[in-house]
Amino acid sequence: MEPIVITGIGVVSAIGIGKAATLESLRSQRTGIGPMRFLKTSHREFPVGEVKLSDDEMKQRLGITAEPTTRTALMGMLAMQEALEESNLLTSHPSYPIALVSGTTVGGMDKSEQYYLDYLDNDTRNDYIRTHDCGTTTQLMADHFGLFTMATSVSTACSSAANAIILGANLIRSRQTEMAVVGGAECITKFHLNGFNSLMILDHDQCRPFDADRAGLNLGEGAAWLVIETAESARRRGAKVIARLSGFGNACDAFHQTASSDDGEGAFLAMQKALKMADLQPQDINYVNAHGTGTPNNDASESQALLRLFGSTLPPISSTKGMTGHTTSASGSVEAAICLLALQHSLVPANYGWSRPMENGIKPVCEVLTDYPLQHVMCNSFGFGGNDSSMIFSRL
Amino acid sequence: MNSKVYIKAATQISIQQPLSEQWMTAPLAYAEPYVRSQDPNFRDWLNPLESRRMGKILKRALVTALKVMQDSGIHQPDAIITGTGLGCIENTELFLGQLCREGEEMLKPTAFMQSTHNTISSLIAIHCRCHGYNTTYSHKHLSFDAALLDAFTQMQLGDISTALVTGNDELTPSWFSILRRTGSVGQPGQPPASEASVAMMLTTDPADALCEVEQVRLHYGAATASFADSDIPPFDFKQLFGECYTASGLGVYAAAHLLHAGQASRLQIVNENEEGSSCIQLKSVL
Repeated sequence: MEPIVITGIGVVSAIGIGKAATLESLRSQRTGIGPMRFLKTSHREFPVGEVKLSDDEMKQRLGITAEPTTRTALMGMLAMQEALEESNLLTSHPSYPIALVSGTTVGGMDKSEQYYLDYLDNDTRNDYIRTHDCGTTTQLMADHFGLFTMATSVSTACSSAANAIILGANLIRSRQTEMAVVGGAECITKFHLNGFNSLMILDHDQCRPFDADRAGLNLGEGAAWLVIETAESARRRGAKVIARLSGFGNACDAFHQTASSDDGEGAFLAMQKALKMADLQPQDINYVNAHGTGTPNNDASESQALLRLFGSTLPPISSTKGMTGHTTSASGSVEAAICLLALQHSLVPANYGWSRPMENGIKPVCEVLTDYPLQHVMCNSFGFGGNDSSMIFSRL
Repeated sequence: MNSKVYIKAATQISIQQPLSEQWMTAPLAYAEPYVRSQDPNFRDWLNPLESRRMGKILKRALVTALKVMQDSGIHQPDAIITGTGLGCIENTELFLGQLCREGEEMLKPTAFMQSTHNTISSLIAIHCRCHGYNTTYSHKHLSFDAALLDAFTQMQLGDISTALVTGNDELTPSWFSILRRTGSVGQPGQPPASEASVAMMLTTDPADALCEVEQVRLHYGAATASFADSDIPPFDFKQLFGECYTASGLGVYAAAHLLHAGQASRLQIVNENEEGSSCIQLKSVL
């Protein structure tokens, strides 16, 4: 396929506001997971990977005074600002169309869970009613920058941002747009913290993806965006090319609404499709950023899919959710940003929290590898409902 | 590259007679501000054991999907793509209401498990054992339009040759009362606030098609649908089907059947909203 290049990255998560802070955390293997500071829940026993800024602090940084806003939109704007700046889109933007494709599921749930009873009973919170749905969060972000000619929202639970990247790439491949800003944002809400708790998939301690004693995930939050465009567009604009999106695949596990199949069929098919599109063999992949949530089910299923694809010669694999927490709908783009930092800076991030190999599982990289040149990296992102996607990023 | 795209089968459950095109000759008319869908007998389609725990939106989504699979003879589409403005709002409200009224201690997973937007597309895939491309769009009134755009794009690229595209929105009495506070629905002179489940099978094969999909364009911002063709008369689908986030999906469904019945040679669905607009152009294959 015609090369789709990345010319801007922005990322906000528990391990840092921006790429420099994120890279520093990856190098020093520092987790962003800890006690709750911002979420107002009675379940204070769960460690979380919160973005270390209050809504007010984010609004101040963005110069926003107006309401209504959502925490998801604020994190999204912070990360988008960094991506647009790197791609020279804040100072001058081309006359041709730019699409925004945003992945989110909670949308404005942070407000709905505070004001739902008011929505039902009185008119005091009417301004927030329209922020409930996913589309409004995308609109808030689009309006803040005002440079998009198309905007849409993908909602496939924890793979939302990955599928947003995929739609954006297909719009470029089909020449409906030459540029797109793609990714996702999601804040922690009481709604999904309680949902995940009711499903008994939250770890009460620091999570341990792919560990024999893993006991669930830690929720995280964040946002990340990639500016993607045709190589021709980047050349025309004089934008510096960071890497290439060389392949992607989306498949459905078609097994269960909230569980993954034993053989990881959906994950396997997604990775296989991505390799095929990139015209690569499994042995060409130098690093896999696994979905690796830390739940017994995901890590067992994903291990099987990885073992089926790569056989006995596995590339270095790690889940970075032990540091960021599971940023749910944003995880596909947060981890894509981590993969791109890994490519740029020749490092393999560590699988924080791991100590003992699981039965029939993969053994992840448990110490960061530096000066480790990478050519092709794979990024996995799976969601409830078996919405599984995989992307491959390559050095030029 | 640039395969043509056709709609092979399309059906709906809405405020008109379900799973039928009776609206062409005997449309139902409503004076109420809020009307729920006319449900078919779900037992004709679904095993009660399987559907017992499904919310209304899931039953409607699955039945409309099964109907177009039957009508088109395509039971394993290459892609299943859904648009939904609010997702499974009944279960979302159930979980949210318990959370707000009773606190965080006694919550059960049942409602949460069926509250995400992608529950619908996943359910269809699980039911049909479809491992192909599967995704969900949730962008207010342009949710279905984005789903159609995705399928159209991948067909033009030659990545897929069949796609089940669906649009699903339910509206609970409580969410209707919430939306009415904002003035967006239920006002005098507006079409009734409604619900919709629509499913259509898209193929690159013209045989027995209802119509051809010529163009799907999305536009953000206040500008009107600048892609609209002024030679094609606008088609007002909201009078028939009411106002809901999936209304444009019903517009495409209805236009496909009108073209198949020879009532026009081209039709376009122009969907203009504050969050953006879309223009979908369909052409007769008769």
